[in-house]
Amino acid sequence: MMSVDRKLAITARIAKEIRRDHRSLALIIGAPIIVMSLIGFSFQDQKPVLNQAAPALIATMAMFFVFVLTGISFLRERSQGTLERLLSTAVSRSDLLVGYLAGFLLFALIQSIIILMYTLFVVDVEYSGKIWDIILILLMVTITSVSMGIFVSTFAKNEFQVVQFIPLLLAPQIFLSGVILPTSQLPGYFQGISRVLPLTYANRALRDIMLRGASLSDVSLEIGVLALFAVVMLTAASITVRKT
Amino acid sequence: MTAPEITTTLNAAVSISGVEFAYGNRPVLKGIDLEIPRGVAFGVLGANGAGKTTLVRLLIGRLKASAGSALIFGEEPGPALADSVGYMPQLNALYEALTVRENLDFFARMLSLANKDLRANAVARAMNVVGLSDRADSVMSELSGGMRQRVSLGAALVHEPELLLLDEPTVGLDPELRATFWQHFKDMTEAGTTILISSHTMDDAAHCDTLGFMRDGVFIATGTPDELRQSTGKPDSTLEDAFLHLSRASA
Repeated sequence: MMSVDRKLAITARIAKEIRRDHRSLALIIGAPIIVMSLIGFSFQDQKPVLNQAAPALIATMAMFFVFVLTGISFLRERSQGTLERLLSTAVSRSDLLVGYLAGFLLFALIQSIIILMYTLFVVDVEYSGKIWDIILILLMVTITSVSMGIFVSTFAKNEFQVVQFIPLLLAPQIFLSGVILPTSQLPGYFQGISRVLPLTYANRALRDIMLRGASLSDVSLEIGVLALFAVVMLTAASITVRKT
Repeated sequence: MTAPEITTTLNAAVSISGVEFAYGNRPVLKGIDLEIPRGVAFGVLGANGAGKTTLVRLLIGRLKASAGSALIFGEEPGPALADSVGYMPQLNALYEALTVRENLDFFARMLSLANKDLRANAVARAMNVVGLSDRADSVMSELSGGMRQRVSLGAALVHEPELLLLDEPTVGLDPELRATFWQHFKDMTEAGTTILISSHTMDDAAHCDTLGFMRDGVFIATGTPDELRQSTGKPDSTLEDAFLHLSRASA
């Protein structure tokens, strides 16, 4: 009971902090819209290309923004000493992980859904499939990305270092997960790497749903692999969450 | 022979024996022995880098000694003791976007005060103790440095712990506020709370019931302020004279 209360308290605190930081809140909502606008409207005369690229772009943007949001927020917790203070209380590893995950997930999901809705209804990308199926895939990308942000913040001492993880962790996923070139056209050794990247499976699932109208059961393999990535990243985050 | 030692350890608030700790290859604590009885203010005095913060982090369970044992109320430091121990870190370590009340309420919840009414009372009492009841709804970013220190102290004592571990709590405080802090500490020890306070200023040292002078990871002397002053063998010696004298003697 007390443990549930601690988890709720951590989630509520994170929500309160982000809600009160008006500039960050505006950027959480505004930045993805600006980026998707730039991409969307630069392709407005080549709609078929945009329609093909949109599923991968949505997943990539969701992963990118969520990773930055979580990585930097959690790093701040470590560098300001609040994590150390928290760890001197009765708080447990699961209180921390569930509390932070729920708190960040709330805003990360809002961000992911804004990216999706803006791409579908303002940039006007054509899609088939059910919107809830698309949201479920984005939820799994978001959970993986939140856990990755918590995990990576362990290895950074400041915001500058967290940002350096973006080219290290996200750029290979953008190049090798089929966002730019289909994975089948990559050299053999890169195809091997692409098979261990979560974005590859998110892109594949979203393409099947959005372009070919696939159902969730049609993409069950991709969902299974994404769930595995989420579990692996959550485990990694839980191992390192107490490190200050 | 063993029985009296066990009794002493159980009666002590803090009992440290032969504790060693190193950050990688750099030894920081090199064999610490210390026994702090309940209800006293014990000052750990030493220069920057002497090992004071490491000792405090060891006592909150954030670090594990590589040798020896550190016990609080006869038990290993860790989450199981969190409700009996209050910790004020060197950094204020509070949430800038939250108000004074919200910060204290949050840490009270982390310290297992789940009942809303009990928690509200505990928070109100803590704000009263640190004299910030009139700033309850001010966000941290609106407060001065001294006020933040007071909130930080409030967060450490909101659950009325039996032992307070305060890491340089008076750094940056003006003399008036420093005196106020020491009045709080005196009231608390009189009520039975044990306080371990790390500091590098002799102003703080003079207020403690007992002191440990720390240098290069060991205690070079422990005793009451008067006992330590007398160690120089000169009348009218200050604690600073005593520290320098003992420090040179141990070098």
